[in-house]
Amino acid sequence: MTASQPQAPAANWADLFRPNQAVSAVAMQIVIGVQVVIALVVWWMSPWAALPKPNEVFAALGRLWFAQGLGQELLTSFGMNLQALAITAVLSLGMAYLTVLPAVRPIVAAVAKGRFLGLSGLTFIFTLMAGGGRPLKLALLVFGMTVFFVTSMAAVVSAIPKSAFDHARTLRMSEWEVVWDVVVLGTMDQAIEVLRQNAAIGWMMLTMVEGISRSEGGVGAMLLNQNKHFHLAEVFAIQILILLVGLLLDYAIGVFKNAVCPWAVLTLERK
Amino acid sequence: MAAAHSYSLAQSILKVEDVSLTLGDNLILDKVNFEIRNITRPDAIAGQVVGLLGPSGIGKTQLFHLLAGLKQPTAGRVLIGDPGQAVERGMVGVVAQHYPLFMHRTVLGNLMVAGARSGKSEAECKAKAAKLLDEFRLSDRANHYPSQLSGGQRQRVAIAQQIMCSESFLLMDEPFSGLDLIALRKVQELIHGISTAHELNTIIVVTHDIAAALEVADTILLLGRNSDERGKFVPGARIQATYNLIERGLAWRRGIANTPEFVECLTEIRERFALL
Repeated sequence: MTASQPQAPAANWADLFRPNQAVSAVAMQIVIGVQVVIALVVWWMSPWAALPKPNEVFAALGRLWFAQGLGQELLTSFGMNLQALAITAVLSLGMAYLTVLPAVRPIVAAVAKGRFLGLSGLTFIFTLMAGGGRPLKLALLVFGMTVFFVTSMAAVVSAIPKSAFDHARTLRMSEWEVVWDVVVLGTMDQAIEVLRQNAAIGWMMLTMVEGISRSEGGVGAMLLNQNKHFHLAEVFAIQILILLVGLLLDYAIGVFKNAVCPWAVLTLERK
Repeated sequence: MAAAHSYSLAQSILKVEDVSLTLGDNLILDKVNFEIRNITRPDAIAGQVVGLLGPSGIGKTQLFHLLAGLKQPTAGRVLIGDPGQAVERGMVGVVAQHYPLFMHRTVLGNLMVAGARSGKSEAECKAKAAKLLDEFRLSDRANHYPSQLSGGQRQRVAIAQQIMCSESFLLMDEPFSGLDLIALRKVQELIHGISTAHELNTIIVVTHDIAAALEVADTILLLGRNSDERGKFVPGARIQATYNLIERGLAWRRGIANTPEFVECLTEIRERFALL
């Protein structure tokens, strides 16, 4: 059974439990649907009293949205995340592409090692540098994402085979033209994929960063406030909203990648 | 034996003079010498195909890079044309083994970018690209990306791309590798077609497939190492033998694989090959 052959979802359910089997998209959608229903039932039937029920969470979501300005807070957070993502992408891609210059490689390697540093320990230094508030949050987010973005993207550049460079050279390209065509354009689909992963990292870090500096609010600050007062239904509601927005952002970047880099999804194989 | 065709040798197209290459402490190539001269025939267009044969790991790919100008020899020089000009990358078309293409460009885009680097205007590039796509039966694939092409189509695009840029001189690395009989015939026809399209068209096929090269080449160069008196290989490969297939009546003939003279030549080269 292969993914390239459309088949009835009920063709062979035992394949779902055999290793290395491909199943149809319809069968997989049914499996996901069933698992979501099971998760909801488990949540509903949960014996833990502290765990709010789905109806409580959705009621809390309504209160937060209509009475406490969750939508505005979400917009604030989302806007800042996008701004941080844009700055990170420019800085990280610039550094990763410049690894073609031997003199720059040690600097980029040092930046990549920054991923082992704790953000909390850097807050004081960043506060002194950025002055607090939005600039501080931006700086923390950009730092947190850049160290991972640079690591991944430098690995992508480093993995380009020598034959790809030689191929461009045989077409009389100068070395900078080789860099443009092979390194920049040739890895664009992977760069957007790395951006996608780092958007997720940034979105995950956002609540923590907004907790460090609560000026301007944001969903992170709201989440910590609800946490402080032990409003678990509200906490769950915010978390679910954060998850949904994160998934939406991830989907949007995926659509963008497919539109800008159609070659990355096209194959000779008929699906 | 079939009668040899009438031909004459004209100006030098490629000259390899005392080329040596050392990588680290390893001598890979040791004073490689050979020359390819333009062959003219009174009755036909005679481009040529040269088969550069040698066992695996002997240094064929290194010599390939030197001929393409992608690497500089430790000693000696590679000259293109007459008068000889030291080879630089881009002077020779290079079709590497796995047909690298710009995956982010369409077939037409791949040809256009190559044409632009050769100094042609956009209109000239478009005209030449359209002609090549037609000749290589790729017109209906112009707006496809390489990932949408079959292996054979990719090979044709890779060759067309190099022709856009480098005109008449083409180096092909292992073009027969991993092909079934039908695909092999198609590649041989393609090589024959390019070589006979223009008087100066010259293709050097670097391969270890003796029979496939023999069927399509006019000249066979055998790259290998010498042995010392104890039978141990001496480091550094060089040209061990040159087979002029025109003189043997084996060039410019189709369907020769079953003729006695072909089998005899194949056996001779194989026996020599086994000692390299």
